[in-house]
Amino acid sequence: MAKMHTPAMEKIEKKNRKRKKPVNSTPAYEAWKRFRRNKTAIIGLVVVGILILIAIFAPLIAPYDYTMQDYTAMMQAPSKAHLFGTDAYGRDIFSRVIYGTRYSLIIALFCTIAALFSGGLLGIIAGYFGGRVDTIIMRIMDIFQAIPMIMMAMCIVSVLGNGIPQLVAAVMFASMPTMARNNRAAILRVRGSDYIESSEAIGVGQVEMILKHMIPNAAGVMIIFFVGFLAVSIMMMSSMSYIGVGLAAPTPEWGLILNDGKAYITSAPYMMFFPALMIMITCFAFNLMGDGLRDAFDPKSK
Amino acid sequence: MDSRNLLEVKNLKKYFQTPRGLLHAVDNVTFNIEKGKTIGIVGESGCGKSTLGKTLMRLHQPTSGEVMFKDTDIANIPLKEFKKKYRANIQMIFQDPYASLDPRMSILQLIEEPIRVNNKKLSKAEVTQKAKEMMELVGLAKRLENSYPHELDGGRRQRIGIARALSLNPEFIVCDEPVSALDVSIQAQVLNLLQDLQEQRGLTYMFITHDMSVVKHISDDIAVMYLGQMIEKCSADRIFRDTIHPYSQALLSAIPIPNVHIKHERMVLKGELTSPIDPKPCCRFAQRCPYATDRCLAEEPKLREILPNHHVACHFAEKFVK
Amino acid sequence: MSDTLLSVKDLVIHYETEDEVVEAVNNISFDIKKGEVLGLVGETGAGKTTTALGILGLLPAKVGHVIQGSIELEGQDLLKISEREMRQIRGKKISMIFQDPMTALNPVKTVGDQIAEVILLHDHCSKAEALRKAQDMLAMVGIVPERYRDYPHQFSGGMKQRIVIAIALACKPELLIADEPTTALDVTIQAQILDMMRKLQKDQGTSVILITHDLGVVAEMCDNCAVMYGGELVEYGSLEQVFDNPKHPYTRALYKSIPSLDKDVHRLEVIPGLVPDPSDLPEYCSFFERCAEKCPKCNKYDPVRTEVEPGHFAKCLQYMKEWEG
Repeated sequence: MAKMHTPAMEKIEKKNRKRKKPVNSTPAYEAWKRFRRNKTAIIGLVVVGILILIAIFAPLIAPYDYTMQDYTAMMQAPSKAHLFGTDAYGRDIFSRVIYGTRYSLIIALFCTIAALFSGGLLGIIAGYFGGRVDTIIMRIMDIFQAIPMIMMAMCIVSVLGNGIPQLVAAVMFASMPTMARNNRAAILRVRGSDYIESSEAIGVGQVEMILKHMIPNAAGVMIIFFVGFLAVSIMMMSSMSYIGVGLAAPTPEWGLILNDGKAYITSAPYMMFFPALMIMITCFAFNLMGDGLRDAFDPKSK
Repeated sequence: MDSRNLLEVKNLKKYFQTPRGLLHAVDNVTFNIEKGKTIGIVGESGCGKSTLGKTLMRLHQPTSGEVMFKDTDIANIPLKEFKKKYRANIQMIFQDPYASLDPRMSILQLIEEPIRVNNKKLSKAEVTQKAKEMMELVGLAKRLENSYPHELDGGRRQRIGIARALSLNPEFIVCDEPVSALDVSIQAQVLNLLQDLQEQRGLTYMFITHDMSVVKHISDDIAVMYLGQMIEKCSADRIFRDTIHPYSQALLSAIPIPNVHIKHERMVLKGELTSPIDPKPCCRFAQRCPYATDRCLAEEPKLREILPNHHVACHFAEKFVK
Repeated sequence: MSDTLLSVKDLVIHYETEDEVVEAVNNISFDIKKGEVLGLVGETGAGKTTTALGILGLLPAKVGHVIQGSIELEGQDLLKISEREMRQIRGKKISMIFQDPMTALNPVKTVGDQIAEVILLHDHCSKAEALRKAQDMLAMVGIVPERYRDYPHQFSGGMKQRIVIAIALACKPELLIADEPTTALDVTIQAQILDMMRKLQKDQGTSVILITHDLGVVAEMCDNCAVMYGGELVEYGSLEQVFDNPKHPYTRALYKSIPSLDKDVHRLEVIPGLVPDPSDLPEYCSFFERCAEKCPKCNKYDPVRTEVEPGHFAKCLQYMKEWEG
């Protein structure tokens, strides 16, 4: 009986004729193929891309200087001249929010990298060596986690003063335990797999084992956590700025802009609405992307 | 040490501490492996056959006992020394060709790895050259060099595993269920490859499997394991015609035979395998054995030579000789 | 044809994704009589499980499609009825045993409840009555009925498979589809389960489709045997016909490639090459590349099923008279 041809088959044949099939598909390419198929993840990726562009080209996009105070136009509702309105000092909120993208994204990135290098590394060490090393590291992390984040941040700031490094440190300490736990789990999962045993059997040394087998295989899961943590960092940072811990006044960080508008929430709600919207959009986009990455790197965990 | 033997295993034990007690995964196992021969280790899941293989490889550290390999007790030398001097000599082919290859490495990288790690002096080009020779030896087409494991079927993946083990020029290879994850038509290809390589290179195999017909086909000697102990050991052709231990008999009669006309008497065993956690000093098969007596429950049988070169661990072995 | 229970005709099933179409089942037809045990043999990707899922209407949504054909259960085409009617049939008239007993049971419900659940779904009876029936079922598969209050993790692998069988047989189905029911088990446990299945099948007169890759299991359990390759039924006949006088080159080669317990050979005969990729099947005979008996015409035509002897079919060009000469 001859082969059955269906419309779907013809469509694919047409596609294949047009596109040269890659000869060898690497695991990374397979992951990208899965990611590409996921529409919501692509939306997340596009939004994140736009945010990064906004951050880079902030001076070109923002119509005003974010510190410029215009006393002739204080607390104006959104209009053509001031898209998001102005605040109590007559500063253009749109410009501040645009510049805020820069601050928020960069500081969040620093926070997450710091957390990865502290907590993540500890997690990898705990996961690889196991036993007593594991117990000691993870119990210290437990203690860290038992301290309320805001309280720890306030302590750090009150000792070291306000500033970006202090804020990064505060967020780092707060996210270290979770980062450590996630990375430890990722390494443990890889460590238990057959190919590690098979590499051990052919005589691969410890350092090479970690660098060439464990980290590349755990990398997918680690990237997922990394992206997820960007969203968490932005949230933490904004909440700290909002209660006045961390960054000092004229910095156009979203949490600080929110804080500025706090007093006028009934009379001028737009002052809080726009920065809050940006925080929400950013976190949402990172989370969408993170979910997409999870499906792409870890298709079985669905 | 007998010069014909490549490996002499004496009273090898591997215990694991578990929350429920001490698991006697391999318990007092003694056997020899002749140079250039294949010993088949058969048993059901949880009988300790894989642990035995991994303990010989020092992937698990033995609890006690000795393993003589070329006049050295490789079970009791420091692990560092073992890795340096003997690891290349004793290699392993793993059960699951899907899980035992790093998914992020290409075929060539996978085969280069053992060569590179163990011959630090070789240049990159020499390593690649040798890896390509290995690919040819195990019958992997050249065009697959840059493919990744997920693109290949089980048979070809298993060939990669064989190439990795062979690239170190080992004398002894532990084959841990190398064909049980493969389709029948592919299984024959891999078995034949293993036999060809054995003939060309004088390899010695320890072939671990649960599949009786495969083990009978490939082995010279066969040892049957039950709950960590070796209960019968003899040449391959004897175990099928003249099995003595009741468990071996039951095991053999349980195999469905692909022939419409052969209908053998089946000895269906009661119950299921337990795990040997803190075992009592009795015959471990006694609970399921249709011939068990009070003596079986009170005294542990030793592996004895019942007939020339035929060892059985059963108090009443003489009764079952045909 | 009153004693025919299930009749599959010209069934074609494809899995369609964005990148490829997997031709999983290609034009297969077979009948099962009441009380018959049919063995469906084949290697990975031969389309055995897809056939079973197709019969049960459980193909993965969106991806799996029945392209053509009919599946008639006592004259009713299962492909034409609604999902609601199908649910009535599943579990009641046709039930299935999956390969892995570990994942087929719900870990947070007692086994008694799980068996009773199926009974309550299809039979009108009280909860107490269902539970009593559940205990009877447990006894039937050789488990102490008092253990109906236990959870799955309290049972061993073989016991779990017995429970899965008890669930499948709870409503006395007319057709049982067993997909590799003993592959995950040890040989001695496999022997116990096969013994039990054979006894239950005889007692209840259930028809069974037994999917397996193990020719030994087929020889022990089945009345008829169907060999699948590349999504096609390449050979079909009674057990004696297929085992004693295999007609298709694939079946013949398969027998030679399995090591035997009663014969000694130095080397096994192999089937060269690989199992065909079901997303890229040839227009001609799909076994051509690996066939030891091929002729120059074989890669020009796709053979049709030919009756070689009464009740014995093979799908190979050498039996098609009209192509001779």
